[in-house]
Amino acid sequence: MKKLLSILIAALMMVGIMSVASAEVAIDVFQLKVEIDPMLQEFVKLYSEETEGVTVTAETLGGGADYGGAIKAKLAADQMPVIYMIEGAGGYDLWKDYIADMSTCAWVADTDLAYYSPEGKPVGFPIAMEGFGLGYNADILAAAEIDPATLTTFSAVKAAFEKLDGMKADLGLDSVVSCGTSSSGGLWWVTSQHVFNAYYAGYLDYNDSSVHDNCLAGVVDTERLTAFATYLGLLYQYSDPEILINGNYDAQVAAFAAGKAAFITQGNWIDPNMAQLGAEFPMGYISHCYLEEPTQGLFMAAPSWFVVNSQATPEQQAAAFAFLDYMATTEAGANYMVNEAGMVPAFKSVTQLPSGQFSKALVEASARGGNYNWYFGQNPDGFNQYTLGPIFELYGVDNDLDAFVADVTAAFASIVE
Amino acid sequence: MKRRGWVDALFIFPCALAFVMVIIFPFFIGIYYSMTNWDGVNPAISWVGLANFTGMFSQPQFLYSFMVTLLYTAINIVLVNVVGFLLSLLATSKARLRNLYRAGFFVPNLIGGIVLGYIWQFLFNNVLLNVGQSLGIGFLSSSLISKPNTVIWAMSFVNTWQYAGYIMMIYVASIQSISDSIMDAASVDGANYFKRISKILIPMMANAFTITIFLTLTTSFKQFDLNFSLTNGGPAMRFMGKAIRSSQLLAMDIYSTANGLNRMAEAQAKAVVFFILLVVFSLVQVYINKRREVEA
Repeated sequence: MKKLLSILIAALMMVGIMSVASAEVAIDVFQLKVEIDPMLQEFVKLYSEETEGVTVTAETLGGGADYGGAIKAKLAADQMPVIYMIEGAGGYDLWKDYIADMSTCAWVADTDLAYYSPEGKPVGFPIAMEGFGLGYNADILAAAEIDPATLTTFSAVKAAFEKLDGMKADLGLDSVVSCGTSSSGGLWWVTSQHVFNAYYAGYLDYNDSSVHDNCLAGVVDTERLTAFATYLGLLYQYSDPEILINGNYDAQVAAFAAGKAAFITQGNWIDPNMAQLGAEFPMGYISHCYLEEPTQGLFMAAPSWFVVNSQATPEQQAAAFAFLDYMATTEAGANYMVNEAGMVPAFKSVTQLPSGQFSKALVEASARGGNYNWYFGQNPDGFNQYTLGPIFELYGVDNDLDAFVADVTAAFASIVE
Repeated sequence: MKRRGWVDALFIFPCALAFVMVIIFPFFIGIYYSMTNWDGVNPAISWVGLANFTGMFSQPQFLYSFMVTLLYTAINIVLVNVVGFLLSLLATSKARLRNLYRAGFFVPNLIGGIVLGYIWQFLFNNVLLNVGQSLGIGFLSSSLISKPNTVIWAMSFVNTWQYAGYIMMIYVASIQSISDSIMDAASVDGANYFKRISKILIPMMANAFTITIFLTLTTSFKQFDLNFSLTNGGPAMRFMGKAIRSSQLLAMDIYSTANGLNRMAEAQAKAVVFFILLVVFSLVQVYINKRREVEA
């Protein structure tokens, strides 16, 4: 009996040793873009099959769920993923002890949109390039004899809104603009992040962060803010109040797709929705023009980055670096990013073009130059949603420009308190 | 057979261990974290004393959440219990189909709060709105959850719709335990229906009221899921000079502080205050109700 037992133990130990010797490196990706989950699953499967000794698995957190809270829960459960996402400075500051330097990776030289740590090390892999402006329905503008190429100043946009508003019945419009701002509809980010980014970045060089730096230091430019608030008030005034105050994403996008609104305040991520809703009319972007200085610049940047957990084993980190390199620099990776996931790639070597019209407009604008960066992601955690969100929503209800300017001014002053 | 102390202790041990590890231990760790600057990730934690506790009472959002939670709780204690009681009278009456009513009123309680919130959001924002606009009913012609002064009532209405059936079941059980002979004797003595209910039924149900008021108090004070999916804290309003979220109840305010603003320690401090308030309110309520039971 004793002999049998010792043989059994020896056999078990052998199995243990052998499994260590042929150890597969397993890495996991934890991400939040629900719309690309099936494509990413296919891609990691392909990569795992092609790469000896490495298994990549991907997990996606459902739409609208709390990604930040979910990673914290994973950390607490000692299941910190090897590759996960951050969305800007807030995420970087929180997770900096778990973020590896990726200076050695090949993809770094191929993009301008990597996330750099304050020490100047590339640490974030740009997942895609996204962008927005004020989207328009070219058929409706043509029917109203408005040339979108002339809509480059505040007064031109205002005149166009007024003209369209007068022709609503003829054009079959419910409202000129499709815009949402409510927290109950889950659209607080449309105005308090994206449209407001025009204040931080509009009319400045791509890397000029001076206006936003001042905001973070508690100081706003009242003249610029008032001009922006006047423009935002115009968007609100010509929006369908039901969508503005109650509407959700589906309602906002559907109104534009159905030709019930001539403009929409959304980015190129609505391309798949346009296809689903069968919207085939020509569409494009104008800028958010709140000054009289002509501009065609769009707001484009990487909205989120993959980072590698620096507390994972060295083998896992190396495998993660190789995986990201593969995604950025190979034909299979480009195929996944562009054709499968429909994203605008952040890498210069990728020549394939996305099929969505808004995404194409971004690629064209990128080639044209004169575009603007994103800065809202660098605000403190929750500031956009819980501090600016109610201010923007309230402005949509009471249209009180002075109160809005005072509220925003006080909100930024409170950052440094 | 002789009972041995250590055998008893051994049987209790698994349960006691689980209880200590998941309830007692985290409770005290939580109190500790509430006096630090913990952010949920960074292991470097420093002691800040009572700063989190004093800070919260100067935040307009927290103060409003506090007030609106008390209002919401008060509305729901009345509304849910009145409706639940009336339904229980119907379900124990001699009306036809009373068993169908009983099941039907209970069914909303089986739908999860998140799902329910989205369903009612659609009803408020689309169905009721269209009905209101096409029939020209003034108060329905703009969505009830888009106005700060109606949103709490709309939420209370949905909560009542969901919860009254559950409370009804407790009342039904209590009514059925009252002997028919007492009620029959009362009606022979000439007491009409309302007299019988107010003088006999309600006093004899005092212990049921203790339970139902306790349940409605605690569940509405802790309300989160419905709040999260139905209104997500909106709409915005102005309070103490600041733009705030008008339907963010206390539980959701704690959630937003923790997961949105990423101030874990401050959220923990709010949770401690929340816990103390809930214990005080429910103890007072049970004490008052129990006294009525003794009299009855």
